[in-house]
Amino acid sequence: MPVAEILEISLRTLRVCGVALLIALALGVPTGIVLGTRRFPGRGLLVTSVNAGMGAPPVVVGLLVALLLWRSGPFGGLGWMYSANAMIAAQVLIALPLVVGITLAAVGAVGDEWHLQIRTLGVPRRWRVWLLVREIRMGLLAAVIAALGGILSEVGAVQMVGGNLAGETRVLSTAILMSTSMGDFDRALGLAAVLIGLTLVLSGLLTAVQQGGRP
Amino acid sequence: MDLQGPSTHLGSTAARFPRRSGARCGPLRFVLLARLLGAAAASLMVANAGAEAVADAPARPLLLATTTSVQESGLLDALLPEFTRTEGFVVRVIAVGSGAAIEMARKGDVDVVLAHSPAAEEALVRDDIAARRTPLMENYFVLAGPPEDPAEVAQAESPEAAMGRIFARKAAFVSRADRSGTHVKEQSLFEAAGVDPAARWPGRVETGSGMGGSLLVAGEKRAYILSDIGTFLAFRDRIGLVVLSKPAPSLRNVYSILPLDPSRFERPLESEGAAALERYLASPAVQRRIRDFGRDRFGESLFSPLRLPPEGGQ
Repeated sequence: MPVAEILEISLRTLRVCGVALLIALALGVPTGIVLGTRRFPGRGLLVTSVNAGMGAPPVVVGLLVALLLWRSGPFGGLGWMYSANAMIAAQVLIALPLVVGITLAAVGAVGDEWHLQIRTLGVPRRWRVWLLVREIRMGLLAAVIAALGGILSEVGAVQMVGGNLAGETRVLSTAILMSTSMGDFDRALGLAAVLIGLTLVLSGLLTAVQQGGRP
Repeated sequence: MDLQGPSTHLGSTAARFPRRSGARCGPLRFVLLARLLGAAAASLMVANAGAEAVADAPARPLLLATTTSVQESGLLDALLPEFTRTEGFVVRVIAVGSGAAIEMARKGDVDVVLAHSPAAEEALVRDDIAARRTPLMENYFVLAGPPEDPAEVAQAESPEAAMGRIFARKAAFVSRADRSGTHVKEQSLFEAAGVDPAARWPGRVETGSGMGGSLLVAGEKRAYILSDIGTFLAFRDRIGLVVLSKPAPSLRNVYSILPLDPSRFERPLESEGAAALERYLASPAVQRRIRDFGRDRFGESLFSPLRLPPEGGQ
């Protein structure tokens, strides 16, 4: 199959997943830290829903996003259905609980002793959060790996809200599904090799960063 | 005795944390890797699903590759239970595009094919992959689009002229682009209109997906689309598009059953079951049920039977 097409699909996959990952991190890490360090009414409910969200079936997330974005839906006016924005929205919703949940777990593992130590050393309040982020960086990388792996290989939701449109919303996972249903197994295998290669390289890089940062 | 208390373990906790965190990350990566490998394996297994089903099933399974349009119409769900009861074959329906159905037939992954891509089907018979081709039923493709009809295709004198207008006005158009029977028809109509089927314009999108999914895209984009009548009727209310074409010979859509020739393949095929299914679907009783199928739900038939003897005094 044409190399230019594989390249185009791969670059789109990386762009869409990258944007979704950045949004999920920007929203999820602060949320995880707040949930992990503050006590407020309704926190238990939020933590439960985050944990439940970590196991949410992506295809159901896709259905919810589709219901919101269809012309007849409440956000139909945005015209996002069957566009890259719709795919990013679905992927953010899939990745967000993973990011929040793993951040929360990492914050929880820090323990009261560390907080006491920081306070005893007289670290100003505004620096404490950065020290905490530094302390949980292993967990944060795990969150990145989990979220990226989850959205790179996800196919149900992006097919539903993206529509696998050539040159617009076709990503590696939906292109593999399409090639298989077209009976073009060679092309499906080629695309699958690219997707697996991409995942291995990315998680390998992140693992190297994580293990290299180990004190 | 508060040895576990916070004040006594200040230093050791900080040192302990990274190791604990590392241990927690490990299984997570493992899960991810497993999930990825699982996804890869699943895509590979599709090709082998047929062989496995044969080995596992207790009854006599019959593998039927058919098009999504037949499967999505619900016709097989209505007809096959009785076939299983009377003939003793469990039909495993693999619903794919006609292109993939024919590809599976060439590999001997299925026993029998029900498709609507006449040229490709005749090639199967010519290449001795299929024993014969038996036309069972037909209906018409429809050219659907928004009721406003911006390219005025309803006024076109033929389906080909309508496709020509869509191209000339660069109107929004959704192409299946998945080598299905509908996609093949779409290309031949463009060609007959003197339009290069590979021509691109900004309003033309390629879904590479099944009929239902493509109709949903066309509904959202207010685009023209070629569809089989069955799937269109099932989605009509949902997408708000209307039929803009009139039945014409070039929109004829013939579904045929093709039992494979078992002598062509090393793996034993269920040729007895394939012949039984062919006989069953072509029988007058079942042909009458095909004729009536869909009337209760859509107010019109989805398929016209082709093997029903003319009935005089009924």
